[in-house]
Amino acid sequence: MAQKRIKKELQDLGKDPPTNCSAGPVGDDLFQWQATILGPNDSPYAQGVFFLTINFPTDYPFKPPKVAFTTRIYHPNINSNGSICLDILRSQWSPALTISKVLLSICSLLTDPNPDDPLVPEIARIYKTDREKYNKMAREWTQKYAQ
Amino acid sequence: MSADMNRQMSHQSEASSMGSDCDSSEDLDEDTEKFYYIDTTDDLDLDCPSKTDDPEYFEYEPLQLIDAERMMNEEIEALCMKLKVNPSTAKMLLLRHNWKKEEIIDNYQRDPSGFLVDTHLASRRKHDNLVGQRPVCSVCCSEYARDRFVGVACGHMFCRDCWDMHFQTQIRDGVTTGIECMAKECPVLVTEDFVYKVLSDSKLRDKYSKFSFNDLIKSHPKLRFCPGADCSVIIKAKELKAKKVECHSCKITFCFKCGLSYHAPTECDVIKRWLTKCEDDSETANYISAHTKDCPKCHVCIEKNGGCNHMQCPECKYDFCWMCLGDWKSHGSEYYECSRYKENPNIANESVHVQAREALKKYLFYYERWENHAKSLQLEETTTSKITARIQEKVMNNQGTWIDWQYLLKAAALLKKCRYTLQYTYPYAYYLDNRKDLFEYQQAQLEAEVENLSWKVERAEITDRGELENQMDVAEKRRLTLLKDFLEV
Repeated sequence: MAQKRIKKELQDLGKDPPTNCSAGPVGDDLFQWQATILGPNDSPYAQGVFFLTINFPTDYPFKPPKVAFTTRIYHPNINSNGSICLDILRSQWSPALTISKVLLSICSLLTDPNPDDPLVPEIARIYKTDREKYNKMAREWTQKYAQ
Repeated sequence: MSADMNRQMSHQSEASSMGSDCDSSEDLDEDTEKFYYIDTTDDLDLDCPSKTDDPEYFEYEPLQLIDAERMMNEEIEALCMKLKVNPSTAKMLLLRHNWKKEEIIDNYQRDPSGFLVDTHLASRRKHDNLVGQRPVCSVCCSEYARDRFVGVACGHMFCRDCWDMHFQTQIRDGVTTGIECMAKECPVLVTEDFVYKVLSDSKLRDKYSKFSFNDLIKSHPKLRFCPGADCSVIIKAKELKAKKVECHSCKITFCFKCGLSYHAPTECDVIKRWLTKCEDDSETANYISAHTKDCPKCHVCIEKNGGCNHMQCPECKYDFCWMCLGDWKSHGSEYYECSRYKENPNIANESVHVQAREALKKYLFYYERWENHAKSLQLEETTTSKITARIQEKVMNNQGTWIDWQYLLKAAALLKKCRYTLQYTYPYAYYLDNRKDLFEYQQAQLEAEVENLSWKVERAEITDRGELENQMDVAEKRRLTLLKDFLEV
């Protein structure tokens, strides 16, 4: 069941790719994907290219895919291991959601961080108290790691 | 042995005179007590205080699973009849609204569809996601005939196999009554009739029924599972209150409202805060409050091996209080100060550093006393087993019958009860703002009597029976007075 669904998602991504995102299998294994997200223009991540890995569990889509950044990024909801704190990847996952929708949600998370539910409290604090410093740091990291 | 006995004897008389200092009305001179010795047994009547007198009184009964199930089914059936809904919907309504029948009936009769939407049992508009004669299931991407598609109240249709897989995954994760529709952002709940219709795996069907039964019990304000390990007893009470419940099967006592160990006079949320705090800070506290103390007079190192806080140095025979290391004599006087934390009166003007230190000092003060009484309770457990063994021995040697010595066990049980309440007065006091003086006064009174009782119980054989029973009465009265004044009823 999972295989058929993943194939279908791959087809749909080819036909109608979401803006600023791309994704596909790494090798022969349909359950291991790599994705790229281009930093949104209205964010300090603009002009950065961010790589992510996607692991589909065998009971996909009844369990959510595991998605993580492999490119370092300065963000309150993404930690140094690349783990992403996003509700639809955990409790709010629904079998009707797709990778395309997950990638779009991650894009909007880059534009609008959620500092009230932080994975990296220190970055969340700076985001809330000193937005200039946050923008500067995020831009610096983007230049250093994502270009 | 006899020399030892003499020493204890001389000491005991001193202790008893101190005990009488506390409250002259309870005082009886030595001669009167000898007469009392014979016939006071049944006057005490400590075990069954009347309904109105006892602040801890609570009506409850144990149920077996099957009885609880029958009781809930009756309530579900009644609601079905009243609202003309199916049993699965009625069950879900009761579960989601904590079995508040009147409220459910009112709300449903006012606006049936709106109420179902709010309870996540229907959606504002009926969805229809099927296209053509052979629609594609959006979860597995397979094409099927229309009759393969099923769904719940919201109208989102998916193929049977996908629903089946969805239920299997959710139940394996322990989700049952909370299973939602598979559609994105659709909060509509799946009722049990639909689950049973679709779910194929029989083991998981059993699991579903077991877990959803647990959810029903947990949502019911009058039913509680006994928190004892592997205990299947369900306690039914008249109302949801933070009262003491003892399971007849596993003998565990717990608070009916929160399921933690019984904690009067402290309230449920306060004891939770206190226990979390202790868990977080216990390393520091353990480090600071060592298990041994030096004698305040001759500085010999003393390990506490009994429950009583009235200590006598084995070296210099100095009598002191284990808690404050002060002279024990002053503890017997009218004002027992050891349980009262003395706050620095100038604290608001001190630096942050000093304030932090003061806060830790305050916490440690209460934590030390809380821990100390917990340890004393444990140590007094051994006293009880010692007493049992001694009674056995006495009976074998024809020194009275087994019944004659029961008062010793009664005394030990009462001591345990009083010290238990005393232990739980400390978290209460830590968070206390109002009526602090009165509380601390009563706490001090209780503490003094508990220690007197402990001293006498540990030396029960050389303590006069009347004197011991008098002390029991006084201690229990102090406990009940405190609970009456401070336990939220």
